[in-house]
Amino acid sequence: MGKSNVIGFACAYTPLALIHASGFMPCRILPVEDCPDQAAQLLHDNLCPHVKRLLDRAMSGNLPELAGMIFMNSCDAMRRLYDAWQIVRPGDKAILVDLPVTASESAVGFFCAELKRVAGVLETWGGTAITRDKLAGSIRLYNQLAENFSKLRQAVQNGGINNGPVVLQEACNMASCEAPEKAVGQLEALLADTGVMQPDDGVPVYLFGNMLPEPAAFALFEACGARIIGEDLCTGSRLFKAIEADKDGDIFLDLAAGILRGRPCARTFEGSQPGRLAGDIVEEAKKQQARGVIGYTVKFCDPYIARLPNIREALKNGGIPFLFLEGDCTMRSVEQQKTRIEAFIEMLR
Amino acid sequence: MMMEYFSNLEAGLQAAINDGNASPRKHYALEVARLGKRLYSGQDKVAWCGITAPFDLLGTMGVTSCFVEFIGAMVASTGTAGTFLEEADHIGYSSDACSYHRAVSGAAIKGLMPAPAFLIGTTNPCSGGLAVLENLAAQFRKKLFVLHIPQDESGGNVAYLADQMRDMAGFVSDLTGVSLDTGRLKEAIGHTNAARHVMNEVYDLAKTVPSPVTNRDLSNFGIVMALFLGTEASVRVAKAYRDEFARRIRESSANGSNEKFRLLWIQNRVQFKNPIEKHLAESCQATIVVDELNDINWAPIDPDNIFEGLARRSISIPFNGTIRNRVKHLQKLAMDYKVDGAINPCNWGCRQGTGARGLIDEGLRAIGVPVLNLEMDCVDSRKFTEGQFLTRIEAFVEMMDSRKA
Ligand code: SF4
Ligand code: SF4
Repeated sequence: MGKSNVIGFACAYTPLALIHASGFMPCRILPVEDCPDQAAQLLHDNLCPHVKRLLDRAMSGNLPELAGMIFMNSCDAMRRLYDAWQIVRPGDKAILVDLPVTASESAVGFFCAELKRVAGVLETWGGTAITRDKLAGSIRLYNQLAENFSKLRQAVQNGGINNGPVVLQEACNMASCEAPEKAVGQLEALLADTGVMQPDDGVPVYLFGNMLPEPAAFALFEACGARIIGEDLCTGSRLFKAIEADKDGDIFLDLAAGILRGRPCARTFEGSQPGRLAGDIVEEAKKQQARGVIGYTVKFCDPYIARLPNIREALKNGGIPFLFLEGDCTMRSVEQQKTRIEAFIEMLR
Repeated sequence: MMMEYFSNLEAGLQAAINDGNASPRKHYALEVARLGKRLYSGQDKVAWCGITAPFDLLGTMGVTSCFVEFIGAMVASTGTAGTFLEEADHIGYSSDACSYHRAVSGAAIKGLMPAPAFLIGTTNPCSGGLAVLENLAAQFRKKLFVLHIPQDESGGNVAYLADQMRDMAGFVSDLTGVSLDTGRLKEAIGHTNAARHVMNEVYDLAKTVPSPVTNRDLSNFGIVMALFLGTEASVRVAKAYRDEFARRIRESSANGSNEKFRLLWIQNRVQFKNPIEKHLAESCQATIVVDELNDINWAPIDPDNIFEGLARRSISIPFNGTIRNRVKHLQKLAMDYKVDGAINPCNWGCRQGTGARGLIDEGLRAIGVPVLNLEMDCVDSRKFTEGQFLTRIEAFVEMMDSRKA
């Protein structure tokens, strides 16, 4: 292993346990730092601000020291980021991992082979050989993290943590950039500190979308009178999910199935249930007894752009008020919509 | 309405050809009209598909299949895209999305898309295209089969896609009651290989300096010919081009040509009526000698391993994989066709292609080929500011001229 043991990643479908099992530490590169806007030299303005801001960070050298970067082929924009990354950081080791859009048996088999390829690549990058036991151990560790997050989420719902949604998002960001051992410990410390309180009297709202890593955004929702009672975000609950690993079977296959069959974001779907995402959002909002739904996506995100009309209609048919916010991965863009958020919450009261 | 449109188009083209007023473009347009008629006849089993679906295989199974973007291009060419784009706006389909897909969505809402028997989505070339197929499947309440097109041929990728295509044939068979007839498939693949061979001859002729091609001849050719593969018609159309180009080459060696600049057109043409091609030819002596998708990147399909061959063909589209593949392909075309420059109409909503504008620029500049990026919408004529575009083209041509001097 070289100087750094950090593997950067940018997508919630990244096989974190695999990276960890090879002795590396996965670290999410979030579109959060304020770097000069240079990505346009290589990437067109019509690409989502998520990938552009990551490229800005890469071009400004505003990154942790990396042993390599893993890109998931989640969408056209992410593929273009991989392309541009190689130009602006030719010395970086980088791999583009193909990612099926469905979780059919053959897709899971394909993804399993991709994960085995990644394991081989990680080894050539200086990682240790991935044994079954090591991978099983890493999966267990991430499962522990996922479980801690479920408990933390529950505690936030119950009002057991001051400033709950903000703390939760900070924890998510921390866990996506830190070693899982450390993250598990930090979450346990947080959980030990939870009290028993009444949830605040904010209006219960369900939140879905893609990139919203700013804890301040959650503070803003609260300040506008919302209580986020559940979320489905790339930078939130979608990242850490429990993976069932069969004791005897091919553990790579379990990992592939666990990742692909987790709660899908807009880019993943089932051919037999087209449009399912819209139904899932309605169902989840109802289950959580949300009075309204807020959708937050970054501009130019094709997977969401195409699904939004159906989501809008499904929510309308379900009698659930909907507010759609489009952003650019900056707090500024969320703040600019404060009045709309306030008005929406007011309408829900 | 569409049935009438395509019937009239077919009748008009057929009459012109019968009257001895034939041209390869008319033969090609005639097949487009016939496909349109079949799609709108209400008689055929129709499948809406992604661009890299195996249309010849579907045809063998008695299915009239077509990629959905064809409808986007069609409504653009008939000047009606605006109405459908407005309909898409109305349901909240962001105008930042690809206008081919927005137009298709609007057309579906307005009842202009015939109801399919099923849909075949392909993960390539773009995320937006697959998403629109998912939406159509939901809207028409029809089943969707998704072909995951791997990024390259490495590892077990070809076998993986070939198996998906076998499953797809089973899916089609379950829905239509028609099972795959191996004899018919072999026959169709014979036509596919024959068309492939003649299309290669056409492209080779187009490389001649001066080129026998006019700016309109091969517009949308490669991508639309994929819809006719597996049929005798595809061979007939390709032969019409080959013979006409051979004739023009003979005549131009006798009569000379006024070709001054040779151009590579990146990705797709502008689909609505516009003066760019005419202006290039008449005012700039510039010929579009090659379009990015007018190329054959796949080997003839082995009749004993058809599914593997079809899989390789779907993987081979230059839009697949990393930009390195695509740039390498563009560089090869630029050199093979000896072009002086390239035009890239950067369709606003296209992340796959337009998103890579800067990367493509770099790649072509590296081999000394300047690129003119036209920021535009290739479907929505309402956003087309003719004067501005023509001025930019003229400046580009002047620049090429000074490089030649
Ligand atoms: S925000 Fe959307 S377009 Fe951007 S990388 Fe994520 S899925 Fe792709
Ligand atoms: S223009 Fe781009 S986004 Fe639109 S259909 Fe073509 S490849 Fe897809």
